[in-house]
Amino acid sequence: MTDAAIPLLAARGAGRRFGDQTALEPTTIEVWEGEVVALLGPNGAGKSTLLALLAGGLEPTWGLVECRPGVRVGWTPQRPAHYGRLSPRENLELFAELEEENDPVAAAGSLLAEFELPDSNRPSAGLSVGNRQRLNLAISMLGKPDVLLLDEPTASLDRPQRRRLWESAGLQRQRGGSVVFATQNHEELDGHADRVAVLVDGALVFDGPLDEYERTESARLLA
Amino acid sequence: MKRVLLVVRKDLRLLRRSPVLLVTLLAYPLVITLLVGLVAGYANAKPRVALVDQAGLPQTLVLAGASFDVAKTIQRVSKDVTLVRLSRADAERQLRNGKVVAVVTVPPGFLSDLRGMLHSPRLKVQTGRGGVSTRVTQQIQALVYSLNRQLQTAFIRTNLAYVHALKHGATISFLGRDIDILGLDRTAQLLQGFPPSANRDRIIDFIRDARLALAETDSAMRATANPIELVQVSQRGRTWALSAQVQAYTLALTIAFLTLILAAGALAAERDENVIGRLARGLVGFGQLVAAKVVLAGLVALALGAAIAVAFGLIIEIGGIEGGEPWDRIPLLLVGLMVAGASLGALGALLGGLAREARTASLVAVLVALPIVFLGLVPQEVVPVASWISEAFPFAHAVKLFDAALFDASPWARLGREALWLAGLGAGFGLLARLAARRLLA
Repeated sequence: MTDAAIPLLAARGAGRRFGDQTALEPTTIEVWEGEVVALLGPNGAGKSTLLALLAGGLEPTWGLVECRPGVRVGWTPQRPAHYGRLSPRENLELFAELEEENDPVAAAGSLLAEFELPDSNRPSAGLSVGNRQRLNLAISMLGKPDVLLLDEPTASLDRPQRRRLWESAGLQRQRGGSVVFATQNHEELDGHADRVAVLVDGALVFDGPLDEYERTESARLLA
Repeated sequence: MKRVLLVVRKDLRLLRRSPVLLVTLLAYPLVITLLVGLVAGYANAKPRVALVDQAGLPQTLVLAGASFDVAKTIQRVSKDVTLVRLSRADAERQLRNGKVVAVVTVPPGFLSDLRGMLHSPRLKVQTGRGGVSTRVTQQIQALVYSLNRQLQTAFIRTNLAYVHALKHGATISFLGRDIDILGLDRTAQLLQGFPPSANRDRIIDFIRDARLALAETDSAMRATANPIELVQVSQRGRTWALSAQVQAYTLALTIAFLTLILAAGALAAERDENVIGRLARGLVGFGQLVAAKVVLAGLVALALGAAIAVAFGLIIEIGGIEGGEPWDRIPLLLVGLMVAGASLGALGALLGGLAREARTASLVAVLVALPIVFLGLVPQEVVPVASWISEAFPFAHAVKLFDAALFDASPWARLGREALWLAGLGAGFGLLARLAARRLLA
C-alpha cells in the first residue's frame, strides 16, 4: 500500500469516557492530504475530545488513533496550553527544543514575529486573552506539522489575526498538509472548509463534503 | 534524557521566579525543626516538685558532728527539679491540677530519726498520673540519692572520728553524753609499765593487730559506702543544638518538606497549566515527566542541604565547638542529599499524580510529610511499630544516611545500606508515580 492510500491521520472507533460520562462515542474519521475539515457541533458535543484524541493529548478509552509514519501533528487546544510564568519567547524556545527544531531560537523568533507577539520578559500569564491564544497557536506551528488540529482557534482573535490564521491554513493545504478545526461558527465554513464533520452528544452524525453538508437538515438546525 | 533536562531547566526557572514560594518552602521546615527542638528541650526541662515540710526543718542542721545549711543542701541536691515549699493542702491541690508533678513530704519525726541513726528516716513521694510520672520518680530517686551522698559523707566522717578516738584516744560526744576514750596508743603505753607476763604480751600483740586493722578502716569504710563510684568528667564536644543527630534531622526534615511539596506541586502544575496534553503527545512521556520531577527534587535538595550543612559547619567553626567539623564529609553528604532528595521527590511525584491539582497536591504533600517526619522522629525503642512504618518511607533512611555521611567513623556500610533503601523506595514510588501521572490527562 502506498502512502497516498493511507490517511495522514485517522481515528478508528476511537471514543473516550471520563468517569461514568461518555464524552465521545466510538468514532471513525480520516484526515487526508490537502483538505481542511471543520468539526461542527454545539457545546459539549465532543469536538475538543475528538481533537485531543487525534492529537495524542488524550488516550482513547475505546478504539485507536493512527498516524501515517513520519507525519507530524500540531495541536492548539481550546484553552491556552503554555507556561504562564515563562515569557512568550521562553515558551516557544522550550517547545521548539522539545519538537527538535534545528534552531529553536530562530524558530521562536520567527513565530514571535509572525504572530505579532511581544518579545519581552513579561510572563505569558500577563498577556491579553488574544495574545495568549496567539501564543497557543504559535506553539502548535512548531516542528512544521503536516496536520494542524485547531480547537476553536478564532475565538479570541481580532479580525486581522483571523485573516492571517486562515491564510496560514490555506498555505498548509497548498503544501499538501491538512487542517482540522473545531468551530461553532457556520460563517467560518465558507471559503475555509472542504469537509464537514458534525458531532452531536458525543456521536458523529455527519461526515462529508461542505456542499453536501449544506443540503442536510443538520446544517439548518446548527446554523 | 535531553527532554528530561529541558523540563528540569524549565522547572528551575519557574522556581526562581517564585521567590515567595521559595522562601516559604525554605522557612517552613526550619520553623518545624525549631519547634521540634523546643519540644525536645521541654523533655529536658526541670519538673516542678512540691516540698511539704511537716518536720519543721531548721535553717541549720547539725548531724553527726557536721553542720548542714538546709536551704543550700536542698538547692544543691535538687538541681534536676524545681523544688517549691508548699503546705500539705496546697501541694495536694497543685498535684491534682498538674501544677506540680510530685510532692515530697518530710514527715514529723524525720529529724529525730536522722539524728538518732538507729533506723533510716523516710521521705514520702507522691506523683501524679501520666507520661512524666516515671521520669519524675527517677528524678526524685536521684534527689534522695544526692541527699544520701551528702549525709553519708558526714556519717563516714563521724565514724572515722570514732575510729580515730579508738586508735589515739579522745573525748567524744555520743547520744548527748561526753565519753573519754583511752585509745589503743595510750593503752599500749600503759601496758609498758606493767610487769612482763604472757598475758601482757598477748594484750600488746592484740593492740598492734588492732592498730594495723583500724589503719585500713578509712578507705575500707569509704569503699563499703560506695562499692561503685561514678566519676563524672565534664562534658566536651558539640552542644546538643549542634549534635550529629540534630544536624541529620534538620537536613532530612528540611529537604523532606521541600522536595515532597515541590515534586507534587510541579507535576500537578503541568495539568494546571494545561500543557500536560501537549507534552503527552510524544514530546515528554509520563516516565520522563516523573523523572524530571525526581531530578528537580534531587537538585533542590542538593543545593539547599549543602547550604544548611555549610551554615552548620560555619557555626561550629566560629563557635569553636569540638566534635568533628563536617568539611571533610561534605562530598559524601552531597551524594546523600541527591539520593534522598530524589527518593522523596518520587514520593512527591506520586502524590502530585494522585492529587492532579497543584494546590491540592501541595496540601496533600504537607499532610503526608508531617506524619512521615514525626514517625521518623520516634525512637525505635519507644514505639517499634512507628519505626517499622517509617522504614517504608524515605525520611527515616535520609536521617540515617546523613548521620552516617557526616559523623560515622566508618560510614561506608551504613551509607551503602541506606542509599540502597532510598534508591529502592525511590524506584518503587517512581513507578507508582508514572502510573498515577496518567490521571493528569483525565
